Amino acid sequence: MVEIKINREEALRYLGGSGLEPDEKMLSLLDSCEKELLGAASPMFLYKRIDINESGLILGEDVGNHLEGCKLAYVMCATLGSAVDKIIRAAQVSDMARAVVLDSTASAAIESLCDEVEAQISRENECSFLTWRFSPGYGDYPLSLQEKFLALLDAPRKIGLCSSDSFLLTPAKSVTAILGVSEKPLEKKRRGCAVCALSKTCKFRKAGTRCEF
Amino acid sequence: MNFNDLLKNDFILLDGATGTMLQKSGLRLGEIPETLNITRPEVVRSIHRAYIAEGTQIVTTNTFGANRYKMKDSGYSVEELVSAAVRNARAEAEGKALVALEIGPVGQLMEPSGSMSFEQAYDYFKEQILAGKDADLIFFETFTDLLELKAGVLAAKENSGKPIVASMTFEKNGRTFAGVSVASAALTLEGLGVDALGVNCSLGPRELSPIVREFTRWTALPVFVKPNAGLPDPNSNTYNVLPDEFADCMSEIIDFGSVKLVGGCCGTTPDYIRALKRVIDKKAFRRAELRRETSVCSATTAVELSEPRVIGERINPTGKKRFKEALLNNDIDYILAQAISQVNAGADILDVNVGLPQIDEREMMVRVIKALQSVVDVPLQIDSTKPEVLEAALRIYNGRPIVNSVNGEEKSLSAVLPLVKKYGASVIGLTLDENGIPKTADGRFEIAKKIVDRAKQIGIDPKDVYIDCLTLTVSAEQEGCAETLSALSRVTKELGCKTCLGVSNISFGLPNRELVNHIFLTMALHSGLTLPIINPNDDAMMGALRAYKVLANIDKNSVNYIEKYNDSEKEKPKVISSRLTLDQAITGGLKGEAEALTERMLQNTDAMEIVNSVLIPALDRVGADFEKGRLFLPQLIQSANTAQVCFEVIKKNLAKTDSAPVSKGKIILATVKGDIHDIGKNIVKVLLDNYGYTVVDLGRDVEPQLIVDTALEQNIRLIGLSALMTTTLGSMEDTIALVRKTEGLENCEIMVGGAVLTADYAEKIGADYYCRDAKESVDTAKRVFG
Repeated sequence: MVEIKINREEALRYLGGSGLEPDEKMLSLLDSCEKELLGAASPMFLYKRIDINESGLILGEDVGNHLEGCKLAYVMCATLGSAVDKIIRAAQVSDMARAVVLDSTASAAIESLCDEVEAQISRENECSFLTWRFSPGYGDYPLSLQEKFLALLDAPRKIGLCSSDSFLLTPAKSVTAILGVSEKPLEKKRRGCAVCALSKTCKFRKAGTRCEF
Repeated sequence: MNFNDLLKNDFILLDGATGTMLQKSGLRLGEIPETLNITRPEVVRSIHRAYIAEGTQIVTTNTFGANRYKMKDSGYSVEELVSAAVRNARAEAEGKALVALEIGPVGQLMEPSGSMSFEQAYDYFKEQILAGKDADLIFFETFTDLLELKAGVLAAKENSGKPIVASMTFEKNGRTFAGVSVASAALTLEGLGVDALGVNCSLGPRELSPIVREFTRWTALPVFVKPNAGLPDPNSNTYNVLPDEFADCMSEIIDFGSVKLVGGCCGTTPDYIRALKRVIDKKAFRRAELRRETSVCSATTAVELSEPRVIGERINPTGKKRFKEALLNNDIDYILAQAISQVNAGADILDVNVGLPQIDEREMMVRVIKALQSVVDVPLQIDSTKPEVLEAALRIYNGRPIVNSVNGEEKSLSAVLPLVKKYGASVIGLTLDENGIPKTADGRFEIAKKIVDRAKQIGIDPKDVYIDCLTLTVSAEQEGCAETLSALSRVTKELGCKTCLGVSNISFGLPNRELVNHIFLTMALHSGLTLPIINPNDDAMMGALRAYKVLANIDKNSVNYIEKYNDSEKEKPKVISSRLTLDQAITGGLKGEAEALTERMLQNTDAMEIVNSVLIPALDRVGADFEKGRLFLPQLIQSANTAQVCFEVIKKNLAKTDSAPVSKGKIILATVKGDIHDIGKNIVKVLLDNYGYTVVDLGRDVEPQLIVDTALEQNIRLIGLSALMTTTLGSMEDTIALVRKTEGLENCEIMVGGAVLTADYAEKIGADYYCRDAKESVDTAKRVFG
């Protein structure tokens, strides 16, 4: 089991109020939700080095562009476990304000878990360069690949991470992604709103700010 | 030779890994192992052969993932793959070993974490079991969800007469991925009538050792153990425990007692089985001492009836207007909130009764049990007078519940006890029969004895029958109290059964009922009562119980008592600052203050005046602040919930003065078919509720037809649909199309929202309104209803 950190600023961003300082009441709600979340979470992850051409994971244009120049890649998945879903469900019945804070806190936690996995992969590949994490659902990269990602990693058996008929990851606070490995330094420009599938509907952009993607 | 003959031996030697051996034989990346049964039967047979050569007495077929979901792209049917696998095993095992049909988890999560229903899981397993009809027995292995395994066990019991071995996979923290505890697995599976149970995979024998030990404490059945060959190296996929070390660890595990079926899981090979055989050849089986009282459980939590345990009585419509309304309006959230508040107050078990003449009790019971189990951990007591309701709930209940109830009438005994036996539940036995409630303790004792005897006859352990000696109203029959207590005491001592009692009836018709209730509770506890059925939100009752546990030397060193009451004197009474206005209380999300201020204002202000000049403007301002980024979402929700409290006060006041309750309009909300993320929809619901709209919440993953039917039935003018994923936008479109072509819904408008939606897309799929956030859904409702 790994330890997870929660980036509170990120959790607050999901809760609207861009740039707003949380008041005392809000801070104590955040404290108590973070504590409950850390108690419920069982963070788990898997990753595996693959040959891109043999993987069957290249569908659509965007992932191809993303992995341009890479022969090898890492597939990874991570989850906070199903108990997190349960505490969020329970809070939705008894205290919706708490539920949205738990939900955002959990979203921030799964992101930092992924950062940790990426750091670990990075340490194993000190001489190479990694692209950022690209997930099914980004751009034209189909969500229907979730099952393939999970099967490659044996994720249902090893960490209890599955996909539903409509390709939602279950438990809900989970991520799958692919990272290209390159021998040469990668251009940094690729990340940002221009490649984001949500750019048209993004609530951050509407509010005149950005997420840190 | 059959499985029962094998069970007479000290130990049964199983096989090792199949997957590991297939990889060694050159399984290609992405190749589906089950297809080798047909494409390369010789490889599969050679694996069985190698294990049998080492003394394996039961070989498992190469069918771990051979279900319709996982095999959908394999090019073969389940029937083809499974029957070929059984033939391969049989060809090698004939006369030397038995053949076990291996069944693993489906590969999708069940509700509520995933979308697979109990019935779907059952059908997948049934297909495998029918296809494997030529096997000798069935092994369920590597399960992490107890309810999924229950679906499998029931499918096996109902579609074959074969012996069943059920094994789950635990992590180092002693729980499965789904949170299932060892105690819950053992209690539930033993109750369902499997022939052996245990644990396999995930860890090596050393790490599994404490988990196996825990199993032997909770079950009287033979225990099954198949560890991995240690832990895998993530890069090389090799395991770190060698055969001799594996066998040494297994030797220690076998010494716990009760362990009878032994083999290996991932990473183990015939070498491990050979080493294991050397160990068991030198040992004799013995049974571990069973150290548990009768217990009930959910999937995560077992409650041992070793001391008084509280059954919460609040989930019951009898005499509760608001609860009846909730049932009629399908307001499941209200029921869940009742459950959570009882658990927070200290209930150990919750009674669940949803009987109301106007509703389909069977369907409602199933819905409520599923919903309750998705948010609370305590075990449930299924309360109905109808056997068909009991059975439907028993099927889908995750864990080992209590059935409430059976009584001494022949009709009840013959209808209820077989269900209790089949699903492995405990049962409440009411001491009444065709002739009513006997007046005397002796009469009630005789009925208790009759119920216990009948239970024993059909194979229910008498310890799992909890006798209710029935509370009579003391103001009507004053001598009755002594009879109840005397019967309770005899049942405890002479039948060795636990007892339960609904307590509060005792004081009906008297003033200061609370006082009589908690003294009666104390008397009953002293007479041996284990399961008081009470309102856990009643402090006097819970206080009496906590004090009793101190005085009866149950709460050691008064730890729980002190924890509960040490700080209570410091709690300050609520003081409202004289300068605080209702508007400020709502903005600040101060519920208690807002409630008191509303009550104060009602003394000299008209109710609707408060609504229109204070509540609604305050909500509007908070909403506008949120839109401008001056508030966080939880602050908006807290304000809305505070306004809700004020509305409740006003509604009560209006009800007193006979004014009609105000609803501004009825709105359906649903998360579309295929989508199980519903937090966005639930936020919208809170806001609409608080603005005075009546929300018919159809939940998540909702069939278009259900939305249309409900809209017609309840004459709905506005439907709100939510979808979170691009993959479920199609369902949103389908739902809208169905509404549009339904006669009678011409005046029905549709608003849509969700993370991936845009205004353009909403228009394209035919929605009337696009709502960017929860606040806009309120604006839309205002436009529609004026």
